[in-house]
Amino acid sequence: MIAHQVSVFLENKPGRLEKITAVLKEQQLNIRAMTLSTSTAGWGILNLLADQPERACQVLTAAGHPAALREIVVVKMTDAPGTLHDMLLLLAKAGLNVQNAYGTVLGDQRSAILVIDVEDAESVQQIFSEAGVETLSTEQVYRI
Amino acid sequence: MYWEPEIEQLPLARLQQLQLERLHKTIECAGRSPFYQQQFASGGVAVEQLRHIDDIRSLPFTTKDDLRSHFPYGFLADPKDGPVRLHCSSGTTGNPTVIFHNQHDLASWANLVARSLYCAGVRPTDVFQNICGYGLFTGGLGFQYGAEHLGALVIPAAAGNSRRQIKLMQDFATTAVHTIPSYLLRLHSVFTELGIDPRRDTDLRLFVIGAEPHSEGQRRRIEELFGVSAYNSYGLSEMNGPGVAFECQQQNGLHIWEDCFVVEIIDQETLEPLPDGEFGELVLTTLDRQAMPLLRYRTRDLTRILPEPCPCGRTHRRLDRITGRSDDMLILKGCNIFPMQIEKVLMRFAEVGSDYLIVVENRNGSDEMQIQVEVQKEWFTGNMEALENLSRKISHEVRDEILVTPAICLVEPGSLPKSEGKAVRVQDLRKPQESV
Repeated sequence: MIAHQVSVFLENKPGRLEKITAVLKEQQLNIRAMTLSTSTAGWGILNLLADQPERACQVLTAAGHPAALREIVVVKMTDAPGTLHDMLLLLAKAGLNVQNAYGTVLGDQRSAILVIDVEDAESVQQIFSEAGVETLSTEQVYRI
Repeated sequence: MYWEPEIEQLPLARLQQLQLERLHKTIECAGRSPFYQQQFASGGVAVEQLRHIDDIRSLPFTTKDDLRSHFPYGFLADPKDGPVRLHCSSGTTGNPTVIFHNQHDLASWANLVARSLYCAGVRPTDVFQNICGYGLFTGGLGFQYGAEHLGALVIPAAAGNSRRQIKLMQDFATTAVHTIPSYLLRLHSVFTELGIDPRRDTDLRLFVIGAEPHSEGQRRRIEELFGVSAYNSYGLSEMNGPGVAFECQQQNGLHIWEDCFVVEIIDQETLEPLPDGEFGELVLTTLDRQAMPLLRYRTRDLTRILPEPCPCGRTHRRLDRITGRSDDMLILKGCNIFPMQIEKVLMRFAEVGSDYLIVVENRNGSDEMQIQVEVQKEWFTGNMEALENLSRKISHEVRDEILVTPAICLVEPGSLPKSEGKAVRVQDLRKPQESV
């Protein structure tokens, strides 16, 4: 099964991010990791790794925010030089473009994960498993 | 299919004869007002020399400034058969303008609105919900009395409170609605929020839209969203209000009621009359108003007369869609731009909403245009590149239309400014703000 992040459109103005976190707080939804990509034209996209992405997307949409679920692949990173490079090389060779990627440190403080937003998550999942790169299952992702 | 078959199908020659007779009476009547009395005295108007309706061109124009500078009673012609009602503009940009009506005028106006609504397809069996401001604004009482005169059941719903509007529609099985086009798009989002499908859960079949310039694309979007036919209405308070020109079932141009108005299109620069088919400023003369006749009134609305006869059989000529008001025109880098041109382009993109705001400002000595458009929730995929491409594409297509490259600014849905009533479309920050 493919995991999802929630992507939310927002204007780059004071108070806009808070409006989104307020909705999530009210619904007791937990954010595991996030990034904010901004365009030069005054808007941006907030990517959220949440414990219940479907519900998060639903409540944000209902609150009037353009929100969408996007497929992601989550990789467990081993603590060794060159791991990231080898992994990205696999994607480059397959001609797959990474839209966005962000990492977070796990609760044990020793290992980290990388969230990759790609157009075709299924192919990436397959490439990684063939190359022996460990990816997280949906359940693992949402329970991080 | 006609409200007044004989008048609506009057052959051109007889229509012009009727116009001439009524023009003579109108001039006589106008001569009793302080403004025209003075104008006729200095210019010398010889009624007997007006032998054809085209001779109207020998009369001077009347402008909005004339109305303002003779506020409030300078145009009142008939103190004898006294005025019984007035309608007044908001006066946000100076002195307000006021129009007076006597009982004859109100009856004539109600009849024109009834004729117009009938022309668009409203029938006595309809339940007609009038969603617009009552009071000084002419759309409220104008449509109220017109639709009553036609025989429909009229709900004077007035403006605002969308949930209540929807409840009224459901409680009384409303079939026809009059309102401004931007409001219908907003109303549709409330329908969606409430989980009510207007196509399935209401009896709506016909909309009358007007009072706000809008593109053909906007009309089609409204028709699509609600599953109804939408007909354009044109009017202005100086010419009573609604009921001046209206679309028939063909939805191709608005029949202007030539038994009650003389229509001219003039070149804005030379003020010379233009032939049918050419775009210019609409100039109108009232032919059936006693309390306050207006002669050759410059409406500042830009349009043209469609030269071909209409298949519906009405002989009264048709106005093309109003392309804008001469006051709405923006001049940017030497190009003349109308907001309607930009709206036309935006309507091609389903990814953005129907509301938009054009902001013009001077940055470092250069005039720049920014267009704010709302991202549509339904089309948002979370892909940044897609949104950036969309902005570029909109910018290019607008440039192709107006020859100026705008910056496209995507904003969150519902964040554009809404005014009470008409939508705010342009903010020109180059000019000092006019005092309210």
